[in-house]
Amino acid sequence: MIGYLVRRLGGAVLVLFGLSLLLYGLFYLAPSDPAILTCGKGCTPDRLAEVRHAMGVDEPAATQYAHFVRGLVGGRDYPAGPATRHCPAPCLGYSFETDQPVTRLLLDRLPVSASLALGAEVLALTAGIGAGVLSGLHRYRWLDRIVNGLVLAGYAVPVFLVGLLLLLLFCVQLQWLPFPSYVPLTTDPLAWAQNLLLPWVALAVIQTAAYARLTRAGIQETLAEEHIRTARAYGLPERRIIWRRALRGALLPLVTLTAIDLAAVMTSAVLTETMFGLPGVGQLLVGAVNQIDLPVVVGVTLLAGLLIVAANTVADLLYRAVDPRVELR
Amino acid sequence: MRRIAPVVMAGTLLLAAGCDGSGGATSSSAAFDPATCQGGTLAVLNQGGISHLDPARLYTSGGGNIPSLLFRTLTTRNRQPGEAGAKPAPDLATDLGTPSDGARTWTYKLRDGIFFEDGTPITSADIKYGIERSFAPELPGGAPYLRDWLQDAADYQGPYKQPEGIKAIETPDDKTIVFKLRKPEGDFPYLATATQFAPVPKAKDKGVGYEAHPISSGPYMVESYQPKKSLALVRNPHWSGKIDSLRYACPDRIEVTSGLDAAVINQRLVSGAGPDADAVTTDAVVGPEQLAQLGNGGPLDKQVARGEFPATYYLAFNTKKAPFDNEKVREAISYAVNRTSVVNALGGSTVAGPSTTFLPPQKTLGHQPYDYFPAGDNGDPAKAKQALADAGVTNLTIELAHENDDSQGLGPKVAAAVQEALKQAGITVKLTAIDAATYRDVTGKPATQPGLSLQYWGADWPSGGPFLIPIFDGRQIIKAGGNFNLAQYDDPAVNAEIDAINALTDQSQAQARWGALDAKIGKLALTVPLAYEKDVYLFGKNVKNAVPDGWRGTYDLARISVK
Repeated sequence: MIGYLVRRLGGAVLVLFGLSLLLYGLFYLAPSDPAILTCGKGCTPDRLAEVRHAMGVDEPAATQYAHFVRGLVGGRDYPAGPATRHCPAPCLGYSFETDQPVTRLLLDRLPVSASLALGAEVLALTAGIGAGVLSGLHRYRWLDRIVNGLVLAGYAVPVFLVGLLLLLLFCVQLQWLPFPSYVPLTTDPLAWAQNLLLPWVALAVIQTAAYARLTRAGIQETLAEEHIRTARAYGLPERRIIWRRALRGALLPLVTLTAIDLAAVMTSAVLTETMFGLPGVGQLLVGAVNQIDLPVVVGVTLLAGLLIVAANTVADLLYRAVDPRVELR
Repeated sequence: MRRIAPVVMAGTLLLAAGCDGSGGATSSSAAFDPATCQGGTLAVLNQGGISHLDPARLYTSGGGNIPSLLFRTLTTRNRQPGEAGAKPAPDLATDLGTPSDGARTWTYKLRDGIFFEDGTPITSADIKYGIERSFAPELPGGAPYLRDWLQDAADYQGPYKQPEGIKAIETPDDKTIVFKLRKPEGDFPYLATATQFAPVPKAKDKGVGYEAHPISSGPYMVESYQPKKSLALVRNPHWSGKIDSLRYACPDRIEVTSGLDAAVINQRLVSGAGPDADAVTTDAVVGPEQLAQLGNGGPLDKQVARGEFPATYYLAFNTKKAPFDNEKVREAISYAVNRTSVVNALGGSTVAGPSTTFLPPQKTLGHQPYDYFPAGDNGDPAKAKQALADAGVTNLTIELAHENDDSQGLGPKVAAAVQEALKQAGITVKLTAIDAATYRDVTGKPATQPGLSLQYWGADWPSGGPFLIPIFDGRQIIKAGGNFNLAQYDDPAVNAEIDAINALTDQSQAQARWGALDAKIGKLALTVPLAYEKDVYLFGKNVKNAVPDGWRGTYDLARISVK
């Protein structure tokens, strides 16, 4: 197990290193100049050159990348007028647009996105597994068709429309909930959940479909296996067969999918965060792309890469825990 | 320069009952008394975050809305509705400044009783230092005018590298500040409304970090600030309404939340649940679903402010590129445009109006009506074809560059409207979408500038100068980039007239001359004016005195009440 973890860790470092190199290659060699937006309207070429120098984007891409790697390990200092500003290790760079270290920005935004992703996953898994089991046990019957239809309808509706409809219904018409605004879990757990309820539902509507379809297929497949027939032949109760044997086998593929979804949603729930005004990582990324705030774009992408790699590792470990036949190499 | 905020989110279209409101309702100011308006908390719901709170880095028109709550400047907009509101007024200074040496020198005296939030008196040295900071490359983003206007300041690198300061700004005593300009500038009192003219105490300057808590000279000071997320303002105990009669400073507290969706902001303002009844927005223009509810005498008509920020949407020709070097071809395109379809593409007649002049219709800019290439409401393909025939051009195919999204009004919708109109005149238009983040960069560099592009120009202050000079002054052509004279038009006679008008300190005289100059240049069809901007903003049902000022077209947070 330890050897496996060490190998995965080494692989993760290599993947992230390659990703960072690719990002620098893409962003810093592309014909976009972050200094132009920072410098503002009416910026003369001389002034632009000064601003480029102050931002450190006038150096060759390779030098900038070397600074970046050094900053990751040992931190960096940035010019800031009368003094320098220190970006402690692991320094992912300094945001041109907000004048803050990217690491701090990410740490500030991550709890919001994690709150959104975790709640939505719990809802989606609950609804998806429930719908999948119902469909799987009543396949090709009216209940299966209704559940399938509902789930697919949810999958087909864009998240911004679901979000708007939820806001109109619960915040405007019924006024049961306030318009969402993020309240940290540690400040007020009840307000945290109350404000995140609609975003969770909006995001879960999409996720539910995938989980329901996977569960349904898994249930059908497992119920057709020989050990289920054997169990039935031995006279085991149907409920026990379904919950102990069929569901366990059916849920195995969900483990991997859920872990990866969780990681992905934490950095890419752009529409949901925008619609509900949640200051998460996705919203940060959109703003950074629009403002050519490259350090932030690089930081968010690396964070996404890190989370996906970590999620894959966790998924493998969970797979091993759920199914002893699986061997980790 | 401010540009129109995103009007439409894709999702809101699905909910919209219609997309073109009508009616002329204006905002309510009932039961408002500045003497008794104090109290309550004003919520500001915004899309875009405040990326910088440093007066050196802000690019505002008239000092901005939120920044003006924190920063008093030498002069400020006078915050009146309508035409009267398009004039500067003294702020920290006792008057609009005393010009001398043919408007090459401007002298200001500071008021008595002006303090920073910590109780320190504001001196002329603080204003000088604030201006010098804006030259530092570490603090970019502010308006560029001072770099050009002040004597020998173009190469100044800011007080961190050059602590000796700018010689062209003199402070003979704590109450006097003198600006020495390299050429006459009659508009200097307008420029002095910019946040770069706000005082900054040198002892409190932390460079880039200053914006975490800028030292206030206005009615409010920062309680907490998270860039692009939130800003909480509380009263500045050392500000007095007796010294600053233009800002009413009604709410006890102002809470700005950023990063919200425009449709959600407007929905919250309409429903007005809880604290949203005391809410406004400074950047979410009303959406189509609310536009459909306006003008029918419904309750929403009492929650809307309609103004006009001076701005023009236009087609810019690069006259150095064929076929746009041919004046007849430019005239043909001018005849062919369908301004009705352009206005519809911008969101309808509630948020835009057709324009045949480069100067928008505000009198303070000197607007003089003209229509040298009358296209009517829907274009005149016959006249366009005739102009093409006169030019000896057949089967004309051109490219039109535009932004790749519609949020700024320069995107595919307006481009398609132009394309369709020109098609009626036999002109084939190929659309070229350019990433909005780099659009100004591409079109502002003569080496990469397309032959024809969609453009927008808004006034940094309500005068003809900042509207016409960057666009038509031949000395403003910048080959290396950041160029706005897209026609690359350089006529010594026009340049001389610009200098002559700049020397005028009588604004009524200057207005007439700017208008005449616009009318003269318009004959050359260097641009095709398409539409001017109208602004419609909602506000919460408890908000009072949400009256748009004539300078910026939006309501002024410094004069709004929620009590």
